Amino acid sequence: MAENNVENLKKIREAVSQDLLGGRIDLLLGWEKGHYWWQSRPLFARTEEDLEKLTWDSFCAINLSRYLLDELKDFQKVGVLVKGCDARAFNRLLQDNMVVRDRVTLYGLPCPGMLDYDRLAEVAEAAPEGIIEQNGKVTIKTADGEKSADRDDLLADKCRDCIYPDPVVYDQLLLSPVGKKEAPEKFTAIEKLEEMSAEERYSYWEKELSRCLRCYACRQACPFCSCRECFVEQQNPRWQGRAYQASENFMFHLVRAYHGAGRCIDCGECERACPVDIPLQELNRKLTKDINQLYGDYEAGLDAELEPPLLTYRPDDPAAFSEK
Amino acid sequence: MPRTGVFLCHCGSNIAGTVNIDQTIEASRNFPGVVHVDEYRYLCSEMGQDIIKKAIEDNNLDRVVVGTCSPRMHENTFRKAAAEAGLNPYLLEVANIREHCSWVHKDMEEGTPKAIALLRAAAAKVALNEALEAPKLEVEKRALVIGGGIAGIQAALDIAEAGYPVDIVEREPSIGGRMAQLEKTFPTLDCSACILTPKMVEAAQHPNINLITYAEVEEVNGFVGQFDVKIKQKARYVDPVKCTGCGICWEKCPAKAPSEFEMGLAKRKSIYVPFAQAVPMVPVIDKETCLYFRKGRCQICEKECPPQAIDYEQQDEIIERRYGAIVVATGFDQMDPSIYGEYGYGQHPDILTGLEFERLFNASGPTGGKVVRLSDGKPPKKVVFIQCVGSRDKARGMNYCSKICCMFTAKQAILLKEKLPDAKSYVFYIDVRTAGKGYEEFQRRAAEEYDVAYLRGQVGKIFPEGDHLVVHGVDSLSGKVVDIKADMVVLSAASIARADAPELGRKIGINTDSYNFFNEAHPKLKPVETHTAGIFIAGACQTPKDIPDTVAQASAAAVKAVGLLSKEMLQGEACTAEVDEAECSGCLHCVAVCPYTAIDAKEIEERYGDGTLKRTVAEVNPALCQGCGSCSAICRSGSINQKGFSNEQILAEVDAICLQR
Ligand SMILES: Cc1cc2nc3c(=O)[nH]c(=O)nc-3n(C[C@H](O)[C@H](O)[C@H](O)COP(=O)(O)OP(=O)(O)OC[C@H]3O[C@@H](n4cnc5c(N)ncnc54)[C@H](O)[C@@H]3O)c2cc1C
Ligand code: SF4
Ligand code: SF4
Repeated sequence: MAENNVENLKKIREAVSQDLLGGRIDLLLGWEKGHYWWQSRPLFARTEEDLEKLTWDSFCAINLSRYLLDELKDFQKVGVLVKGCDARAFNRLLQDNMVVRDRVTLYGLPCPGMLDYDRLAEVAEAAPEGIIEQNGKVTIKTADGEKSADRDDLLADKCRDCIYPDPVVYDQLLLSPVGKKEAPEKFTAIEKLEEMSAEERYSYWEKELSRCLRCYACRQACPFCSCRECFVEQQNPRWQGRAYQASENFMFHLVRAYHGAGRCIDCGECERACPVDIPLQELNRKLTKDINQLYGDYEAGLDAELEPPLLTYRPDDPAAFSEK
Repeated sequence: MPRTGVFLCHCGSNIAGTVNIDQTIEASRNFPGVVHVDEYRYLCSEMGQDIIKKAIEDNNLDRVVVGTCSPRMHENTFRKAAAEAGLNPYLLEVANIREHCSWVHKDMEEGTPKAIALLRAAAAKVALNEALEAPKLEVEKRALVIGGGIAGIQAALDIAEAGYPVDIVEREPSIGGRMAQLEKTFPTLDCSACILTPKMVEAAQHPNINLITYAEVEEVNGFVGQFDVKIKQKARYVDPVKCTGCGICWEKCPAKAPSEFEMGLAKRKSIYVPFAQAVPMVPVIDKETCLYFRKGRCQICEKECPPQAIDYEQQDEIIERRYGAIVVATGFDQMDPSIYGEYGYGQHPDILTGLEFERLFNASGPTGGKVVRLSDGKPPKKVVFIQCVGSRDKARGMNYCSKICCMFTAKQAILLKEKLPDAKSYVFYIDVRTAGKGYEEFQRRAAEEYDVAYLRGQVGKIFPEGDHLVVHGVDSLSGKVVDIKADMVVLSAASIARADAPELGRKIGINTDSYNFFNEAHPKLKPVETHTAGIFIAGACQTPKDIPDTVAQASAAAVKAVGLLSKEMLQGEACTAEVDEAECSGCLHCVAVCPYTAIDAKEIEERYGDGTLKRTVAEVNPALCQGCGSCSAICRSGSINQKGFSNEQILAEVDAICLQR
């Protein structure tokens, strides 16, 4: 990305500024540099001046589609830059009747995968101070010098198992497609969990979930969480106790996972957002795997026209119950 | 605080045998809100109900819990009793102690604590119950009968005679069903057509009956009293008003196709009526084989038809109509016995099914009423009947007994002897089953007066040898191997459900059993009702049966339908779903899962900032809602709640059970 970063960014900016200045969109959702060089945060651009801040680099991991939930209340026409996962998230919102298709312009950005600061630090074995990208290699600069590594080894967790880096829905595709990818490891962690005994599995999750701060960052980042009032906050009935203890944490995460059954688009935003690194994607993927097994392969978010398995009825639907 | 009364039933010794009544009653006293407890041997009896009524009045109870059998059994009984004592009936909850404790646990050790837990849950739930009012619904005073066999005809005649209009939707071009294919009928040997045709004509001429033949039900919406049905009238390409049924068209038509009515044993024309006594006597054009439709040339029927009734431009039509009640009478099929390779069905023209053989006796059948071999046209000397082909066969066929085969085999053997006095019949059977008035006598006559040899045993193989079929079997009574050089073999293929029964069941909202026959609501006490109110079943679509049983069931279904149509108003569902618009995000997943299409999207306007914002929410049509709860289960935010089963109530139940542990 880095080599033609400047050129790509120019292309993107040209396309969106035409639309923003021409009034075809009232707001553009993109990314701008954050506090640190290894963070790109959402940009809400309304003017040419705002667009100056637009960025497209290896740290634009944040899924922008979800911001539509709020922005469409204030703006009539919104443009969004969508990577593969943002586009699938958009389909999720579309299927959930949360967005109006013709009020949104989607600018497709085929995505090479985003880099992760922790991975950089791990590989560099020191605090990274900057990177240079060239030909699929990344040179990490640290106080002690430089370290080079394959770009693929530095990808954020959420990008490692990505199958659809190209947007599956868009109005304009701004860059050239990178192609479908393989993700043979996608369900490996789940298979391991399934092999555990019920007790082992319980203590695994007890350990993981006991760290949960109940900050609800996972929910806030998630494109399938679009309830007006989440069950955890409802007073009547009170589904969720307030105590920060394993059983309450279980309640929150398991119910949330069930709410995503057949709906999770596997963007990994929950896990990326989690400040205490709970492997939340495992819960979602387990349900995805079960649903695929029960009702045939279905990839949520790929096609907004395809009815989700739990919203359709076929006479030969199995009624099996999995105990794992 | 509510004032709740808890009443525990012994159900004779059903409950009392596995639940310690005293202990349970004592525990119930301490549930929150409980001010009165009592127990009785049979709460559902008049005495029992009086105990509840009196306690409500004496103790000023405003909530009641009864610990009895399943609510499916007696919820209504107790609700009525509560209402008689002045309590809103929906302020009563049933804890299912009998089925959930007594029938699943062996001793008091297990049964008692569970009974206490269930009562505690019910008491916690009932505290949150609200008084509900069941809506009153109108009844469309018209019935629909699906299937025009003898079952459908009889049901329609009875409903019509009671004064209500009724439509019969029949898939084939004529009504009549299987009975029209039969020659004579056991046990009295009356000619089938002679007793059926008058009924067919009566149905056609009855001012209250409207025949919709060559048509199928496409869609059923709505509910008891108000079923909205879409019927597809297939194009006949003949104008039924102009057609006089003169028969010139099918006489002149040059194109032929296998006759469905004769099960392929004879040909019919491309424009045809299925059989000579068809009602209505209006032909249809089979587009697949018609020369004009296939090649664009011919039109002979159009030229020849005196009243110019042929209309190639006719299109399928959708008829939409509302009905108060539906009777399903779609009958049965015979199994294709070719899966039994050893019997060679389909490989030799002289191996037939019972229904095919029946047609050989019929004067208008494929052989003009001569019983002959289809291979060479010679009359058979020896005919072997094989029973239970596909019936009572767990491994390859159906577990059940098809019920009619022993009798129609005896009938056909008798008819054979009457036609061909030299012919000899052999019947291989497992058991001969002839329960029914005059049935045993009829079968004995076959054996004793008509020289029919009954061989108990099974046939292992049938193979051709010269111009014979060797039937190789074992007579299990003598233990001897028997080889019979037969001229013809007749297989009593199992009676099975119509292939499309499950699909039809889904369209109309009734279910099928594991063999695809339609399920009755109760095997003993509700044999013509289904689990869907207002939909009844009759005839062989429920399970194989003979004509007398079919007709009896059809009249029973008609009475049920008439009983419904004669009501001024029906009570609707009180426990309908409700949307909390403030919470509803408008995802409309509930719309997708509602089996009764009771939910729609609705636009609302809401304050936002200084202005307003339009957004979508779900809206339940309480007249359509049947209170199934599917929507409430799919709604992630708990924004759609079923009255009487609200999320609060269910959580209260869960809490009550968990807290006790
Ligand atoms: C070989 C044989 C001999 C028999 N002999 C005797 C006998 O001697 N005496 C006796 O009492 N019984 C006899 N029976 C049994 C008798 O045939 C049945 O009891 C009787 O036909 C059952 O009537 P029914 O109306 O339930 O079903 P059917 O006769 O099957 O009629 C059902 C009707 O529904 C129509 N239909 C089916 N599906 C649809 C749909 N989806 N939409 C619209 N219409 C539909 C069909 O076209 C048909 O017209 C014999 C059966 C067989 C196989
Ligand atoms: S009631 Fe629930 S399921 Fe139905 S539209 Fe509203 S939020 Fe969605
Ligand atoms: S309870 Fe809900 S899903 Fe069931 S019928 Fe009523 S509205 Fe439809």
